[in-house]
Amino acid sequence: MSTAKKNPVLFAKAFEELEAITAWFEQEEIDLDEGLKKFERGLELASFCQKKLTEVENKVHEITLKFQQPSSFL
Amino acid sequence: MNPSSSLPKSIISVGEYLSLLNDSLRNTLSPGFFIRGEISDFRISQQKWISFDLKDEKQEALLKCFMTIWQLRTPLEDGMRVQVIGYPKIYERYGTFKLNVEEVELIGEGTLYRAYILLKQKLEEEGLFDLSRKRLIPRFPARVGLITSCDAAAYGDFLRVLNNRYQGVEIFHTQVAVQGNLAVSQTLEAFAYFNHLASNMRPDVLVLTRGGGGLEDLHAFNDERVARAIFQSKVPVICAVGHERDESLCDFVADIRASTPSNAAERLVPDRREIFFELKSMQDRLQERFLDLISKKNIIISHFVKISNFRLSQQKERLEFCTKLFLKRVPLWISSLQTRVKTMQRLLQQTDPKRLLRLGYSLVRVNGRILKEASSVDMGSSIQVELAKGSLNAEVTNIHKK
Repeated sequence: MSTAKKNPVLFAKAFEELEAITAWFEQEEIDLDEGLKKFERGLELASFCQKKLTEVENKVHEITLKFQQPSSFL
Repeated sequence: MNPSSSLPKSIISVGEYLSLLNDSLRNTLSPGFFIRGEISDFRISQQKWISFDLKDEKQEALLKCFMTIWQLRTPLEDGMRVQVIGYPKIYERYGTFKLNVEEVELIGEGTLYRAYILLKQKLEEEGLFDLSRKRLIPRFPARVGLITSCDAAAYGDFLRVLNNRYQGVEIFHTQVAVQGNLAVSQTLEAFAYFNHLASNMRPDVLVLTRGGGGLEDLHAFNDERVARAIFQSKVPVICAVGHERDESLCDFVADIRASTPSNAAERLVPDRREIFFELKSMQDRLQERFLDLISKKNIIISHFVKISNFRLSQQKERLEFCTKLFLKRVPLWISSLQTRVKTMQRLLQQTDPKRLLRLGYSLVRVNGRILKEASSVDMGSSIQVELAKGSLNAEVTNIHKK
């Protein structure tokens, strides 16, 4: 597992991974060792997402465009 | 006398005269007027040149007009009421007078609506509204480009609903006029700005919105150039123009058409409560499946233990059985062996040659070998005779061969 995967910064990434893990657990034969790893990772991701949803706010950046003066043709 | 005849006259060519005329017409008459009238005899030739007559509605008056297709921003057809800006010109080659039109504005809701319908048909035929090209927006957009005026109620509605539903979005707002003559150019600039950003800086979604209004207010959102900018945008576009029933060409071209600015926020991001619920269900499901997994493994292990115990006790029983059998069989076997040994002993005793000597037989040897035939000895040979008790040596005196 890469470090980026270990510490998801993006909510969307974390959520996607959690969905994948949940889907993985739906299969018939589950390896116990892998299952344990994925289970721990899943719980970690779920709490990360929940935390992220409560912590973060929406940010508005104002972009100032330098408008050209429209010609009379416009 | 005519006063002009007193001035000295210079001689010029027709072309020179016409160009003087055109200069003075242009300087005196343009661009101070909007000339209003009704279009008739509208023609496009060679897909480039547009000509039409502008007719007066009240009196018999007609103005021949000319323009290029690139100057025309709206569909035109006969019967439309317009006002035009242009400069008068006499074409040297044919000597005809025409108004060189630079700008056409549609007048009245009827004309605007007609132009709207014509443009809508054209764009639809070109495939700008095709459902097959509608793109999906990411489920959790992180960066959003917002194109609207911050004076509009739409701006406030959009942000309020967005903040109620979801957090964690970075909004890049470009302030543009949503009506008036700057609306189109500024909206186009905003699209160009977002689309020219490096791909890692580009927003996930663009939202183009404004509140409701009449056809005239919404003109920027029915503008062909804006519609095409949405069509060409690399970033998917949510369009929310007007309120509920209002429609605009931008709505049809956009990847997602929202009914109101608030609805745009609803289409843009999921409701946080739904996501919480989804997270909780995934967490529960994970736990359930994991416990399920553990208990399954437990069952397998206990089953294994049970089976091994069973097999073990089976082996033990077999061992005990064998041992018992062995212990029972061994004495029987030994006694049968003893019987056999005795029998054989008896048999052996019966064949003992000494026993025959005792009955009166004797053994005759020549040089240690047992003598069986009379011919195998010579006359005078010495033979040894063994008896039941003792032995004697003799000499062969007579041989009877058989």
